[in-house]
Amino acid sequence: MSNQKKRNFQIEAFKHRVVVDPKYADKTWQILERAIHQIYNQDASGLSFEELYRNAYNMVLHKFGEKLYTGFIVTMTAHLKEKSKLIEAAQGGSFLEELNKKWNDHNKALEMIRDILMYMDRTYIESTKKTHVHPMGLSLWRDNVVHFTKIHTRLLNTLLDLVQKERTGEVIDRGLMRSVIKMFMDLGESVYQEDFEKPFLDASSEFYKVESQEFIESCDCGDYLKKAEKRLTEEIDRVAHYLDPKSEEKITSVVEKEMIANHMQRLVHMDNSGLVYMLLHDKYEDLGRMYNLFRRVTNGLLTVRDVMTSHLREMGKQLVTDPEKSKDPVEFVQRLLDERDKYDKVISTAFGNDKTFQNALNSSFEYFINLNARSPEFISLFVDDKLRKGIKGIVDVDVEVILDKVMMLFRYLQEKDVFEKYYKQHLAKRLLSGKTVSDDAERSLIVKLKTECGYQFTSKLEGMFTDMKTSEDTMRGFYGSHPELSEGPTLIVQVLTTGSWPTQPAVPCNLPAEVSVLCEKFRSYYLGTHTGRRLTWQTNMGTADIKAVFGKGQKHELNVSTFQMCVLMLFNNADRLSYKEIEQATEIPASDLKRCLQSLACVKGKNVIKKEPMSKDIGEEDSFYVNEKFTSKFYKVKIGTVVAQKETEPEKQETRQRVEEDRKPQIEAAIVRIMKSRKILDHNNIIAEVTKQLQPRFLANPTEIKKRIESLIERDFLERDSTDRKLYRYLA
Amino acid sequence: MGISKDRIKFNVGGRLFETTATTLANAGRNSFFGALFDDGWNLSPQDSVIFVDRNSDCFAVLLDLLRTGDLNVPANIPERLLHREASFYGLLDHVRTARWGPFDGNRLRLSDSVKGTSPGDGTAIRAGPDGGCCVAHGSVVHVYDWMLEEHSPINLDYQRVNDVGWIDSDNIVLSACERLGRGDGGMGLFSSSSGDLRYKFQVSHENQVKSYTAGALSFSPDYEIFASCKGRSNEYGIGVWDQITGKQTDFFYESPGWSLGDADKLQWLNGKNCLLVATLFPRKDNCYISLLDFRDKNMVWSWSDIGSPMATDEKRVRDAIAMEDSNSICVVNEFEDLGFIDLRMYGGSVRWSSRSKLMKSKMPDEPCYPKLALHEGQLFSSMNDSISVFCGPDWVLTSRLRRSYGGSICDFSIGGDRLFALHSEENVFDVWETPPPPII
Repeated sequence: MSNQKKRNFQIEAFKHRVVVDPKYADKTWQILERAIHQIYNQDASGLSFEELYRNAYNMVLHKFGEKLYTGFIVTMTAHLKEKSKLIEAAQGGSFLEELNKKWNDHNKALEMIRDILMYMDRTYIESTKKTHVHPMGLSLWRDNVVHFTKIHTRLLNTLLDLVQKERTGEVIDRGLMRSVIKMFMDLGESVYQEDFEKPFLDASSEFYKVESQEFIESCDCGDYLKKAEKRLTEEIDRVAHYLDPKSEEKITSVVEKEMIANHMQRLVHMDNSGLVYMLLHDKYEDLGRMYNLFRRVTNGLLTVRDVMTSHLREMGKQLVTDPEKSKDPVEFVQRLLDERDKYDKVISTAFGNDKTFQNALNSSFEYFINLNARSPEFISLFVDDKLRKGIKGIVDVDVEVILDKVMMLFRYLQEKDVFEKYYKQHLAKRLLSGKTVSDDAERSLIVKLKTECGYQFTSKLEGMFTDMKTSEDTMRGFYGSHPELSEGPTLIVQVLTTGSWPTQPAVPCNLPAEVSVLCEKFRSYYLGTHTGRRLTWQTNMGTADIKAVFGKGQKHELNVSTFQMCVLMLFNNADRLSYKEIEQATEIPASDLKRCLQSLACVKGKNVIKKEPMSKDIGEEDSFYVNEKFTSKFYKVKIGTVVAQKETEPEKQETRQRVEEDRKPQIEAAIVRIMKSRKILDHNNIIAEVTKQLQPRFLANPTEIKKRIESLIERDFLERDSTDRKLYRYLA
Repeated sequence: MGISKDRIKFNVGGRLFETTATTLANAGRNSFFGALFDDGWNLSPQDSVIFVDRNSDCFAVLLDLLRTGDLNVPANIPERLLHREASFYGLLDHVRTARWGPFDGNRLRLSDSVKGTSPGDGTAIRAGPDGGCCVAHGSVVHVYDWMLEEHSPINLDYQRVNDVGWIDSDNIVLSACERLGRGDGGMGLFSSSSGDLRYKFQVSHENQVKSYTAGALSFSPDYEIFASCKGRSNEYGIGVWDQITGKQTDFFYESPGWSLGDADKLQWLNGKNCLLVATLFPRKDNCYISLLDFRDKNMVWSWSDIGSPMATDEKRVRDAIAMEDSNSICVVNEFEDLGFIDLRMYGGSVRWSSRSKLMKSKMPDEPCYPKLALHEGQLFSSMNDSISVFCGPDWVLTSRLRRSYGGSICDFSIGGDRLFALHSEENVFDVWETPPPPII
């Protein structure tokens, strides 16, 4: 503004007025306008660039920049209006080609016009901050061609039609498509989005809404997912071929929403093909497809996971509560392991090792394993089975694998202390009967338990191993000091520390004289070397190898239990004995004796004695005699004891009771530990904290905790707050 | 044959030239030549001579520039003509970059002296980023582009200008005094090419817009503008504005007994993320130098000569500049003695370097206080009619720039690879440039 005023004071302005022909600007502009026409009509060969450039330069120099600028806009607008009519006139398929051709022409012309107007672009437009020639040319095209009413919707519909055609399997001219879409992108992001992308997404959404409805009515889940996956890759492919890469996310989300999110529940729950079907029939490929598709939508995986979890729980519940399955503990645990392996495989192959799925699997197992109170016992029995004989011949690595799997199940157990109880019993049996196959495997499992539950958990188990070792040394010492005993029967004693081993009521019995003499010698030897100890014979745990000669002179070595030995030894002095006589002579408790006789007389092929009358069960009036006709192709014959592998009902009660008894001091210790640090705590909190602290071992029963608190109050460890009865106070 | 295809003939204003397409390609696509040889214009270079209706002498110079990258202007060609022609061909940027070389304080040569029309002494001169400059005279700022063509002068309500600064090659910030009760003055953003006022910066105190006097200016690379401000009531301190939105973003109020609002000099320290604020004698009786951290509104370092035993008149600090590389502040007294203050110590003292006081005896009629500038490890100090250049870790005097007329240098500024020095006795400023690198 002040610029103009100042100029007026200068003399130079006078010169300009003289030089300039009043029609100069119009004349010059006419030349340029004609050139623009020629350029658009592709008739530029006769034009002199130098002349046009110079004319445009002169116009700006002589302050006609404004005229030049508006003139260029008016001329170009007129041209584009004309072109748009031509494009509009194009029929059918040639419409898009015509548009594309005119667009390319326009670009070329725009480039040339910009060249002519370069000086204006650099000086006049720069200083007046107007739109530069090139972007101006693009927006004129947008306003006069793309947004021309007769082209706008037709262009969009043509493009959407072509996409639709391609979706229904027709082949379209992707190159043409790409150039036209590229035009939208060149015109600016907002033009592309408003004039193409948004309607395209809307149309796609409509298309997939209809299609997905069709599919879901006609296909099963697996096929549906295959189709959805195909559509998704098609759309991604489409974006790569002729759309803006930024559209990929948007179009995939449309497909995801219409094809997956909207039908999620129905797909998952589809009868005879849904998720449960896939799980039951090991359809890993379909499961993987489902995972990959569902992960794309919100709550997709959550839905899959929920259905898998409820299926797992249902299946697991049936498995553990089925009384048939509980009959064979080894089979029971093996089934659990198989299920676990199966789902591990599903998660690793189909669900991309998704952590949340692993967690769901773990929580489901934890849920149903604990539904059966006997799970700890069964798991221990399974281990027992494996360590007794199952592992024979399996290489160490496989042993480790099995043990690791068992540990996995062990982790799910809430009542780990119950497992410990059973494990101790089973381990004791294995150790004492010498049936443990691999010492390494045994120790390996103990190490695993130790890392899982701590030193306290396994100290007694380790004590058992120590006892076994010391007993070997003791026996060597015993026979060393009694060289005369090398003749006659051999006695092997295992000295077990009370407390480390599962306590079993010592069942008294009358040992045969030969044995009891030896026992006495050992007792005096042992007590002589270790003062202040007490020895009790656990005859119910022992075994014996005895040699027997049968009727035709055939010799056999019989491997029997201590009780069986006592019974058989009686037949050295008698041919026939009644049940009563045997009971009197051995003083073995009735239940044990019956079992013992059953195994000697009633097992086919191993019945070294015969019973009268012949029957499966032992009656009080039965009588027994040696089976002189006994034959076996083996020299050594092992007479098994008819043991109920599983516990009998009263035994179970007993174990349970022992467990409960053992828990009491642990609960009390936890209460005292907590109160010692907290000093004052209310009832609910103390229950919660105790439960939490004992979690790794067992799930404490709130009523039991309450009882323990009462007991501690009685013993003056705690007191109730005098004002608030809910509060407990720690007494130092 | 391949060589001849490359050949191009021009008839410029009646004179014949012959060159190659390769040479012309150096002009770039966005030039007359770039467009001329574009495929759109089906030119057949072999059989025709291209006519260009322009000055042939200038064409020769510019063709040479494209051939060699060197600009050699014969004495008979006026600068303005050459620039006009370069502008026609779109080669103005080529001319500018060939004109002078990268800045080196020890290789400067005087390239021009520009005489202004304003009466009275200049206040400040500021170099622009692309070789232009602006000069504040009283209430008006004259703007020159790199061709030293003067554009429309700028003013803010014709109030006395305290400082000016370039935000970029097209935007200048001007700080001015307020007139009591009129709400004018303060700070404005101007277009350097048209001189139009684009934006006026405001100070708000307790949600009320206040009129104020803006003093020294500084800019940070984070698009912030700092200015020392004096308001009517107690808006004394340093204001901060956003260069893009123009809105005030912060205000550092000065504490009692310390001076910020009167500051002579602000300097943004990018490495330390701090602003150096220096208020110096004679604006105040004492000197106050402080570093402000705006992130936690904290004065992280300060120095003052209040109560200093050595505060004799001879050791008055007249200008200060922070040198981040050596963690120190360089100060200068009126005898051009340099002193250094360690930034790592709080409240340290000035370590003056003893230089001979040659100037003391022959002071000119109109003495000017020394000013300091720092450019890529070179320290510049103006004193009377000369500028000294110091280099190296011990700041050894390596060059002295002086010319015979114009009197003392009241301000100087370095930017756009040029040094501008404004004289106080006559209204003239000098332009110093580093010549282009030698031929071999």
